[in-house]
Amino acid sequence: MNPFALLAAALLAYVRPDPAPGLLMSKERSRQLECAVVTTQAAVERRPGQLAPEGSRGDMADRGAVLCSERLLRAGLRAPRDEAILSTLELRVSELAATAVSVRPDLSDRTWRVEPFHPSAQVSAKIAFATKNALMAHGAAVSDRLVTLAAGDVDVITRMAPDLAYPAACARYAANGSLGEGDALLAVVLRDPLETALHAGVCADGRWSWLR
Amino acid sequence: MRTLALAVALLAGGEALAVTPAEQAQIAQLDRLRAQVADQVHLAAFDLVDELVYGWTADPVFPSETQVVLAGVTVPVGLGTGLQALIENHLAAVLAENPSTHVQLVHCPQCTAVVVHSGPEGTVISRGIDDPEVLERIGGGGGKHALFVDVEAEGAWLVLRARLTRLTPDLPIVWSHTLSTAAGTPALLRQPTHLKSAAEARREYLDALSGRGNSLIPLRFAVRSYAAPPSWYDPPGTPPPPFLWLQSGVELAPTSARAWTASLLAGVSYIPQAYQGLMTQARISRLITGRARSLTRPDLYVFGGIAMMTVWGPGTASFQAPTPNGDDLLTVASPREILGTFHLGADLRLGNRIGISAFLETLPALSQSENLGEYYYGLGISFQSLGSEVTFWF
Repeated sequence: MNPFALLAAALLAYVRPDPAPGLLMSKERSRQLECAVVTTQAAVERRPGQLAPEGSRGDMADRGAVLCSERLLRAGLRAPRDEAILSTLELRVSELAATAVSVRPDLSDRTWRVEPFHPSAQVSAKIAFATKNALMAHGAAVSDRLVTLAAGDVDVITRMAPDLAYPAACARYAANGSLGEGDALLAVVLRDPLETALHAGVCADGRWSWLR
Repeated sequence: MRTLALAVALLAGGEALAVTPAEQAQIAQLDRLRAQVADQVHLAAFDLVDELVYGWTADPVFPSETQVVLAGVTVPVGLGTGLQALIENHLAAVLAENPSTHVQLVHCPQCTAVVVHSGPEGTVISRGIDDPEVLERIGGGGGKHALFVDVEAEGAWLVLRARLTRLTPDLPIVWSHTLSTAAGTPALLRQPTHLKSAAEARREYLDALSGRGNSLIPLRFAVRSYAAPPSWYDPPGTPPPPFLWLQSGVELAPTSARAWTASLLAGVSYIPQAYQGLMTQARISRLITGRARSLTRPDLYVFGGIAMMTVWGPGTASFQAPTPNGDDLLTVASPREILGTFHLGADLRLGNRIGISAFLETLPALSQSENLGEYYYGLGISFQSLGSEVTFWF
């Protein structure tokens, strides 16, 4: 084997790839990475053995670390809208749950139900699961019981404009008894199929209000 | 004419619905990608399941053994149901091995089946678990709990969510938890019968990485052979015999990753009636198969170094400069030579316990020797010696 090729390989291994697109990193590969700038101490803790720890008298030069992780799913495996929502799901539902609990302290003694409104059943299930866990993490009582509408109600409500449909559905939940006096509903809504923001509304005692 | 137009339109429609070879190739490529991702994800998902069950062993949800229905396992959107089956099986296996969780998985086909219930208030179609009153009537409830597990890929994180719901009419969620692991985190591959916390597993990993310290003592057996001179030399040269060396010393690394190592070794060579020698050698090695040495697969290093050796005995006459003639070889009883060398090579190591290496060495002082040929010539350097080594590290 050519010893100079081996030497070149050794030098290349020493040159750590910059996560930014460039000579050694394609745009596609760069987009697959999620990176964060951390201190040397944090980097040594999170990636043991890969970085020399700071000496007892400090380092000779200022050092920092950029820790990168590759995204689990490559671009194109999921629909772009679903990817945008799912890749930050925990953050989104935590914010929603925190908002619901803090904006409506009057509902603190109620049992929360969660109802997602998203075109994809799979993604809806994910949103509901994550939101329930987030509410539980905020100390709320949560139930798995579903809210239901009669077929006639669904027929009418689905033909209404969204601004009217959600309050109408809320009123029907209360009227048909599926959402009782001790309950509150947190609805997580994708209002426009072209957007990726999740909105939230609360239904309690037959009255609907948007949280965000 | 209208019939023809209709036929053309139908044919065109048929073409539009058919899957073209390019689309078929794209679908196949997507399936391959999904399988590849699922392969990478499933160990991390198992890790999270292990962590979940370990949490129950350390802090059980139920004070006594409780029947739990595995109501649903969902996997990342975009991946197939094969992963779902793997996670279900692994969860059941780990729970079966850890009765201290107080979770007893039970089979309940009525719970997951779709049931239709008609009453004065209307007709409701739902899964049994979603309508516990109906479930009670058909004998599926009975104070059980339902376990829901969801695994989702969120950027570089794999997130596992779990919740336990009591199968009473109110369906209260009695426990929920969210766990996550980063994509780059190696799976802990815990034994189902001996679960550990992530902190304990990390401690073991760190111990394995640094348990032997940053300095090691190598014991090395080396053979150096010397290239024969070209046959057209006149008079024909006589190459030195292969030299055997036994070396030992110390090898240091700045971090436990052992990406860079440096060694300083002393060596001895003794073949009665042929040659004897002493040497010192300094070498710097660089790992090229990763950023840290691996605990599970071989590591490849490249190295460069220098050596100083002194050899004497009848077999070392060929190292003399100027080139000795036949009379010199016969009359000089015990020539003594001091040689300085540079070498480059590669070293394949297994767990920093054993290794095999090969290197090319140049002897600058003997570049004009008629007793030595060359194995390789590059960048103006003639490598006259080829060496191979077997090393044991202690």
